[in-house]
Amino acid sequence: MNAFVKTLLCTSSLLTALVVLQPAILASVDDAQSFALQAAEPYVKEGFQVREDYWGGDLGSGEKKAVRQQLFKGNEYWFWLGTEVDRAKVSVHIYDSDGKLAEESDGWEKGHFAAAHVIPKTTGSYFIIVSVEESPEERTHWALVYGFR
Amino acid sequence: MIPFTKYLKLTAVALIGLTLCAQGARTPQHIDIKQLSKTVEDVVVPLPNEIFGALNKLGAVNWKEHVRSDKGTNFTERPRIALLLGTVIADGFVAVQAEDAAAVKEIGQRVLALAKGIGVGNSITPHAKAIIEAADKRNWEAVRQELDRTQNSVQQAMNEVHDEKLSQLVSLGGWLRGTEVLTSVVTKHFSTDGAELLHQPDLLSYFQTRLEAMPEFKLPIIREIEDALVQVKPLIDVGNARIPQESVRKINEITTRLGYGIVTRD
Repeated sequence: MNAFVKTLLCTSSLLTALVVLQPAILASVDDAQSFALQAAEPYVKEGFQVREDYWGGDLGSGEKKAVRQQLFKGNEYWFWLGTEVDRAKVSVHIYDSDGKLAEESDGWEKGHFAAAHVIPKTTGSYFIIVSVEESPEERTHWALVYGFR
Repeated sequence: MIPFTKYLKLTAVALIGLTLCAQGARTPQHIDIKQLSKTVEDVVVPLPNEIFGALNKLGAVNWKEHVRSDKGTNFTERPRIALLLGTVIADGFVAVQAEDAAAVKEIGQRVLALAKGIGVGNSITPHAKAIIEAADKRNWEAVRQELDRTQNSVQQAMNEVHDEKLSQLVSLGGWLRGTEVLTSVVTKHFSTDGAELLHQPDLLSYFQTRLEAMPEFKLPIIREIEDALVQVKPLIDVGNARIPQESVRKINEITTRLGYGIVTRD
């Protein structure tokens, strides 16, 4: 087999693998988003408008990610975190721009769901810290959605 | 003797309390923000109605006077269409606040035409239809939701074809129009709480960084926005100080000028 055919075969195999794997990777973040939206559902009845936009990615056990978000005084916000990994434990917390915990005490963590509630005292940037506390998977997909009223 | 159900309730309350305490104890009360710099994700740009909602709580706003009937020019340059699209979606949120069904329907059609102009019409058609139907029924909550979906679908469709920069221009157009309306309302009925809603320095820096990465868009309006953001930055980046009425007025002048530039041909 000459070098050209070899390269062609390798490239096409790699491309096929990418095409086959990509929807699976995307589907997992989408699944995580579905769970985050599921956590948000009861709050819609309480008048919260849930944004279509969301953050997502994957984290290893014990890893954290910070999301920066502009919040407005006068509004009330809930952030909902979800993952499709059943036995994972996730958490979400909210800090102000000085790094001080800014959330209300009614946030919750229930296995692969977590939520945090904030009524901003000032308008400005806040940091939402998402974390995969435990997971049977090497990498755990997560998605964070938020709502306001 | 404590009845069994009461005992059960007390145990449940105690357990919940203990869980909350344990959770509270685990959560650090303070974190070092500087250490987060490498793990911080990009900001999600707030929708205009998020700001309008906060503004509404400060007192009644006459939203009708902020509804815009100017449909804007038909551009062929994609960055210009993207900016205008963001602005028109923001106009949709204003029209919802004003509960102006005719304006909302017109905006629904305009959004569709602009999305087609930028090559993402297919993903917007169902949303435009839903906006018009919901406006007919005066279901404002549904219109709001569809406007959010519209912006999200437009941006997703752009990102899928690696037009992220255009997607960012949609957000920028919306933010500028939202800021124009916000400053107009606060200029007329000044309050420190209203002015505080302008305290968005990180968001402004985010847009500045994005614009700097668009040297290929050699359009006067893009450079005009870039220069204007430099002027606005010190007016809103005031730390813990209050934003004075004069600053609000200046920002309104700047954003009104940009708004006119976005809808009008150079």
